[in-house]
Order: sequence, then C-alpha cells, then structure tokens
Amino acid sequence: MKRWTNVLGRGGTVLIAISLALLLVSLIPQINLGTSAGRMPVLPEQVFATGSRVLTPQQGFQVKVTVEGTINVYLLEVGSEEPYSESMLFADAAELQEFLEANPNLIIWDYNLEDGYFERYYAPTKVMNATLVFYNPSSADAILDYEVTLTSTVAPGEKVRNIAYWAAPIGIILALPWLLNMWKQRKQS
Amino acid sequence: MTSMGKGKPFLEVLSSAIHEDYRFPFLEVFAFLYGLGTFVFASFGVTITATGATNQVTATANEVVAYGAVSSILSLPLSIFIILVFKNIAYGLGSDLEKGIIQTYFSYPLRRRGILTAKLLSALGVALLLFLGIQISGLYILAPDIILPQLGTVLLTYAASLSYPLLIAGIMLLLTLKLRRGGISLVVGLVLYFAMSIVSGIATIFAIVTETPLSLQIISAISPSIVLTQYYGGTLGNFWAPAFSEVLLYTGVSYVIVAFVFVLGYTYFSRRLNL
Repeated sequence: MKRWTNVLGRGGTVLIAISLALLLVSLIPQINLGTSAGRMPVLPEQVFATGSRVLTPQQGFQVKVTVEGTINVYLLEVGSEEPYSESMLFADAAELQEFLEANPNLIIWDYNLEDGYFERYYAPTKVMNATLVFYNPSSADAILDYEVTLTSTVAPGEKVRNIAYWAAPIGIILALPWLLNMWKQRKQS
Repeated sequence: MTSMGKGKPFLEVLSSAIHEDYRFPFLEVFAFLYGLGTFVFASFGVTITATGATNQVTATANEVVAYGAVSSILSLPLSIFIILVFKNIAYGLGSDLEKGIIQTYFSYPLRRRGILTAKLLSALGVALLLFLGIQISGLYILAPDIILPQLGTVLLTYAASLSYPLLIAGIMLLLTLKLRRGGISLVVGLVLYFAMSIVSGIATIFAIVTETPLSLQIISAISPSIVLTQYYGGTLGNFWAPAFSEVLLYTGVSYVIVAFVFVLGYTYFSRRLNL
C-alpha cells in the first residue's frame, strides 16, 4: 500500500512539474513575423489569392477581414511536396472551383461572408504551404478590407495551456496522499 | 525458490534503487527541464532549407522534417538526460558499493544479475522512460501530423542518438564495478562523451580532405547519429550517400557493441565481484 502511495505520489509530482513547464511555455509571447494589409474592391467572379507561404507547426496565420458585399474566404493547404504549390494563384473563378472540387481535403477554411467581420487564427500541425483566397461569388462588387499577420510561437499556446490545466489537478490528486504521508513522518520525527 | 518468490526481493531492490536515484525533487526537476527543453529547442524550419539543398539527401522531405525536429529537441535535453544517467550509475551504484548496500542485497534470495537488473532499471530504465515519454509526447503536441506518419524516423533518430551515451553508460558501469567507487568513472564518462564531438570533428575533416567516408563509417559504428545526419541532411559532403539499410546496419552494430559492454558488466558483477 505504502509503495503504491509512493509510486502514485511521485507520478503526481512529475505531472505537476510537467504542467509547470507547459504553463511556462504557454506564457512565452508569440513574435509577429510580418503583416500584409489592404483595402480593395473585388469584382463579381473575381478571385484574389495571397502568395503561398510555407508554415511550420511553430508558425500561425492571423486573419482579420471586413467585407462590404459578399466574399468567400478559403484557406487552402497544399503540402510542400505537392506539385501545384508553386502556382497557387488562380487565374479565374473556374480554375478555383475546379481546384476546390478536385481537392476537398486541402480546404482548411471555407467561409461565406456577407457585410461582416471575420477573424480567425490558424496554426498547422505539420510543415505545409498555406494560401488565403478571396472570391466574390455574387454579381455585385464587394469591398475587401484584410489584414494577414504571420506569427511565430514556441508552442501552440492554448493547446499547451489546456493540457497543463488538466495535468496539474490530476498531479495534485495523485501526489496529495504521498505529500501528507511525508508531512506526517516529518512531524513525528 | 519459485519465480513468484523472487519477484518481491526484486521489487524491494528496485524500489530502494529508485528511492536513492530519484530523491525528491530530482525526478521533478528533470521532468520540468525535459518538458521546457522539448518546446524551447524544437525547430521545424531549419530542415526545410536542407530539403533538397544537396543531392546527397535520399530521405523524403517529411522524413527530413521529422528528423530535424527530433534532432532540435535532443540538443540540450539529451545532455541533461546523460547527466542524470551518469549520476545514477557512477554515484548510485558507486556509493552502494562503497557503503556496502550491495553486500546487503547479496543476502536477498535473488540472483546477482537480478540485483544488477533492478539497479539498471532504476538508473537507466526510469530515466529513459521519463526522457522519451516527455519528448515524444511534446513532439506529438507540437506536430502530430509530422510525428505519427514518421514514427519510424522519430524512433530511429532517438535510437541512433542514444546509442553512444548508452555505450558510455556501459563503460562507466564496468569501471564503477572494477574500482568500486563512482568518482573516477563519472569523470571518464564525461570525458568520453565530450571527446566524441572532437573525434567526429577530426574524422569529418579527414573524410573531406581524403574524400573517403572510411573515418566517418568507423565512428558511425559506435555513434550512428553521424550516418543518420548524412542520410537525412547530407551536410558532411558529397563523398558519402548512405542508404537506409546502411543506417540500420550501423545502428544495429552500435547496439551490439552496447549490449556486449553490458554483458561484460553483468558477467563481472555475477562472477568476479568479490565484496
């Protein structure tokens, strides 16, 4: 019984130590690697794509978009080994639709915005190319106001923090009997 | 005595060894450092430029990324792991020999090799479990889509990188048993560990000058991380393009040498150690 208390207790304290490390990692601020922003009219059936960018799991993509009219926002994932990574700028809507139909697995975001504000963050779980595409599917002109920020981070902060928040209480529960036992022994001696 | 009967003394020796090797808060400090080091040193970017940069690279891009990620997180945490293992073998076993604790264990209804196994499980096994558990979990949190499909590359990189430290651990075990104290074997272990970087540097220069990989091939037999670096990165030069089977061969040979040194340690402990 005492041996199991020791084993579980030390396991608990190790979990607490790992949680502290993860919490510390999540507190390391992310670095802004660059921002591209613009305001532009998007004509009916016009496609506008940002340049393809290689992202790693330690880089993220912050997108803020304000739309007047109707705009479809796509974030497309193209692996760095894929042949079409070099020519991701679509010439027209037909080419875009053809690509979307042929590669549904490469679509990360597919949002339809109508006179609204859109803000999303994306961090990949592998090394990949990412291309942000805006498309006006309507017959009326639309105004697109966008800001794309590339960030660099040590680890995905929210994910790491959530794990720490779960691991720490489990660690405390496991370690408590062992710590109490140790405290009692010290008191007796 | 039945095998059931031997289980309890074995557990007794193992728990005593773990208690001595990982006094509170040693284990916790190392777990914290591994956790922090895994994320702080992780890098996925460096390898992208290496991909296809040289015609020596025969691995696929995803394998190169996985290899680069593991190599980056191994940098400082591996040194911390080595310090822990060296401390456990040199001081853990050394002080047990000096204080006569091993003699006490000899009175247990347990074979000598069982006692050494329990000591090594504590000194090496627990340290490896903690190190690999935290590092691989950390990598999975960071990049699951790199790690899971390339698990073979990840494990091979760990196997190749840990081979030389394990060889030194085996040599330290032999020295500690022979000298019956840990101080000198700890110094020898540290010297051997740092000497490898000097020796591999000289071997690389020699290979580049002569344009033959022989010196690197010889060193790869005890430190297969060199052949792995060449296989995934091709950074050492155009004169050597090892195939994957060659990488496996060198890694296998290095573990045969490691196993041989540990068998020597077991043989000495079981038959020659007189206390």
